[in-house]
Amino acid sequence: MKNQWNRREFISGLGAAAGLALGQPARMRAAVPTAPVAVARCKEYGAAYLETSQKLFDQLGGLEKLVKGKTVVLKINLTGEAYYRLGFLPAGRAHWNHPGSIGATVHLLNQAGARRIRVVEGAFAWPDSLPEFLYTAGWDPNVILGAAPRVELLNTNLPFPGKKPYTRFTVPHGGHLFPAYDLSTAYAECDVMVSMAKMKEHATAGVTLSIKNCFGITPTTIYGDRCGTEEPSPIPYAGRTGIMHNGNRQPPKSALAEKDPSSPRNGGYRIPRCIADLVAARPVHLTILDGIETMAGGEGPWNRGVRPCRPGVLMAGTNCVTTDAVAMAIMGFDPMAERGTAPFETCDNTLRLAEELGVGTRDLRQIEVIGTPIREALFKFREVPRATKT
Amino acid sequence: MALSQDLVPMRWPSGPLEISRRQKSKGFTPQAQQTLARWHEPAALELLKDTLVNCLVISWAAGLPEDAQQQNTAAALVAEASRRKLSVVGWVEGTADHNRAIGAARAAGLSAVAIQGFKGKPDPLVIAWGDRAGAPWDSAAPVLPITGNVWPGVAGRRDGGTSAGPTGVPWLDSNGWYIQLARARARSDIWVMFDPPGGRTVVPERSYPMAVCDSEAAGGRWVISLDDTLRARLTEEDATAQQTWKGIAAATAFFQKHSAWKFYRPLGNVGVISDFSGGNFDVSGEILNLLSRKGALYQVVWKQTAGAQPFIGLKALIYADGAPPSSELRQKILAFVASGGLLVTGPKWGSEGKSLGPDAHPRFDVRALGKGRLAVAKEDLDDPYQIAIDAQILLSHANDQVRLFGGGASAGYHLTGPADGKSALLQLLTYASARGTSQMAVWVDRNVRGNRLWSIQAVEPAPVTQVAGEYGGTEFHVGSMPAYAALELTL
Repeated sequence: MKNQWNRREFISGLGAAAGLALGQPARMRAAVPTAPVAVARCKEYGAAYLETSQKLFDQLGGLEKLVKGKTVVLKINLTGEAYYRLGFLPAGRAHWNHPGSIGATVHLLNQAGARRIRVVEGAFAWPDSLPEFLYTAGWDPNVILGAAPRVELLNTNLPFPGKKPYTRFTVPHGGHLFPAYDLSTAYAECDVMVSMAKMKEHATAGVTLSIKNCFGITPTTIYGDRCGTEEPSPIPYAGRTGIMHNGNRQPPKSALAEKDPSSPRNGGYRIPRCIADLVAARPVHLTILDGIETMAGGEGPWNRGVRPCRPGVLMAGTNCVTTDAVAMAIMGFDPMAERGTAPFETCDNTLRLAEELGVGTRDLRQIEVIGTPIREALFKFREVPRATKT
Repeated sequence: MALSQDLVPMRWPSGPLEISRRQKSKGFTPQAQQTLARWHEPAALELLKDTLVNCLVISWAAGLPEDAQQQNTAAALVAEASRRKLSVVGWVEGTADHNRAIGAARAAGLSAVAIQGFKGKPDPLVIAWGDRAGAPWDSAAPVLPITGNVWPGVAGRRDGGTSAGPTGVPWLDSNGWYIQLARARARSDIWVMFDPPGGRTVVPERSYPMAVCDSEAAGGRWVISLDDTLRARLTEEDATAQQTWKGIAAATAFFQKHSAWKFYRPLGNVGVISDFSGGNFDVSGEILNLLSRKGALYQVVWKQTAGAQPFIGLKALIYADGAPPSSELRQKILAFVASGGLLVTGPKWGSEGKSLGPDAHPRFDVRALGKGRLAVAKEDLDDPYQIAIDAQILLSHANDQVRLFGGGASAGYHLTGPADGKSALLQLLTYASARGTSQMAVWVDRNVRGNRLWSIQAVEPAPVTQVAGEYGGTEFHVGSMPAYAALELTL
């Protein structure tokens, strides 16, 4: 089974088939691809992480086939300001990727022959480089930069250096929320897109997994609060509450406005659609989900009632929907759940929306799980009412 | 009582002059007038019993018809103050006749009269005061009162929200930067004069101790000043008001107990050089303020004394004055750069160094010189916020000395230490709420052998959990932090 799709293949092949169903997203389910998901128990971020992730990649057919000679963009998951902590836990052991896991992944990508590795994040309202942001979080960016040659750390909230700071990514089939998104050109100068996320719940979108991680690729110079009305702001000023969550204004005129300004103005409707759009417009080729040490109850320390937890699981897949679906099952949730049921009590199911765009299936019956079975990796993030249990 | 250093002063508004002045202000109530009258009575000084307040600052002359009446009727208050061994400073302002005010003060037995920018014949009875931009730095008086300061805290808006700073985070008002600036120049004790917010603003109980802490942590002394409502309620012996008063007294006592801390030197690694006069005060003063807000620790370097002052512990210098430094100072700065330092300066600096190219920085021509770098601005340095941010980035956050986690954007800190270098003091202030922050962790860039945490509420200090930082330095799990705490570090 072919489980690696580049952008050209996606658009010309599968995307074209899906295009027949334009305007009829529900009918597309039969056409959506599947891909295996590798799952393993992993307790820590040191040598065991390196060994386990290598094994997962091998189970998926090997990293080399995916990244050799390619420019790889590794989108990491550093949500919120750098000073947030869940209790006294370093961010990497709660709501962020662990620096050691990023370094290890960079090392493996390099070993597999990646030509260039760009580790990227839209670092909230940070107006400068990603290494400087990492320093303020107490990290040493050299752990990542030194993990391999030709590694860059890029804050994709900032304009990409050069003549073309942003590139427009059109959403196949017209998109749910926006017809297209203007993203850092780093995401265009990219042969292989990797979404490396923390396994978490999310207050607005139900779950933070590889798809939700891509919310951070939208530059806050265009989709952030206090951005320009005509053009992107030169630097980011704030998060994405106004344009993305609440829809109380449109992005600068340099970007396309949303499709339907009369649609609901709440995050539970908007954010799942936005992130489903994003992974359709900017396909993800490899997903890595870190459930080794994380948090339950939300996506960051700012959520009420959150707590640290140690599911001790690491996952990888080549389809972000199938990987997120398996992750949801491991978290004790049903990836087929609809709005009103856990974990989507107040939002729409992102996986369904991405499935409608032809990105991948969320139906566990159609997803091969390699390695540790779901039942053995199961770690309930919370008790789910019986009717919605998987 | 002659005026001395280390006094605990309190603004004591009372009497006909104060009433006359206040009657012209909006919202002046009969109750406020009654309180001002009652505070002019000797019995009112009973409030100060069992507190460390030992100096009253009373209105003395303002060039108003009530001046003479004020001075005459203050006699009983002054006498009672003397009996209680309190110093009394007469505050002179406006168009008051200085000689007449001095004569009346001498006759009344005041400890001193404070006169704005006094430049007359030196008189031990007279202390000069000034506003921030016009402080009489050369005053030989034991104290130097400075006006024009702000009420410390998260800046409020009329709609009940909080003002946002340039980054969208809440804007903090603090006098710490100015006090550091003043202490780097003046020999006298710095008295920072500021009143609680007036009008309809309700002054929260917690904000009074913060007014003490914000001043003391930076090495200054707030001239305690109460709002009308609190004064009235204290006069009525209201229990809640007395609780607030006890909070002020406790904070004051805490810093009196730790008066040695005031003489610790700042350990910041960014030096801001300026003559801090005229437009240079506006720019370089605001740079200090904004460096504080951005969490950068700095040392104030007065241009007048920079030649003789070693640049101890500095990694970067900011020189934003319009005029070039003296030849001697310029050479000293260049030597600092050549030995590995960073200079951030304006476009008129000169051509030393080898440019790292036009793309090295959007706003600076960054040049290598010896082991260090010159960052010469491409345009005039007239945006203090941008300068503060750029300087931090040019130096790199890799050189951060302190980081707070879990404290949010409404915290501030000072890192100082004694001359022997064997210890350091990290004073932490959280401006947002009385309860402070629930799970604050603090990181410092150095190895620490031991610690103990002081707070105003705790009788004795206690060590907090410390762990080695993931990438160097030491992290402290302070936990639930009150509005003020001080971490003594054994190095």
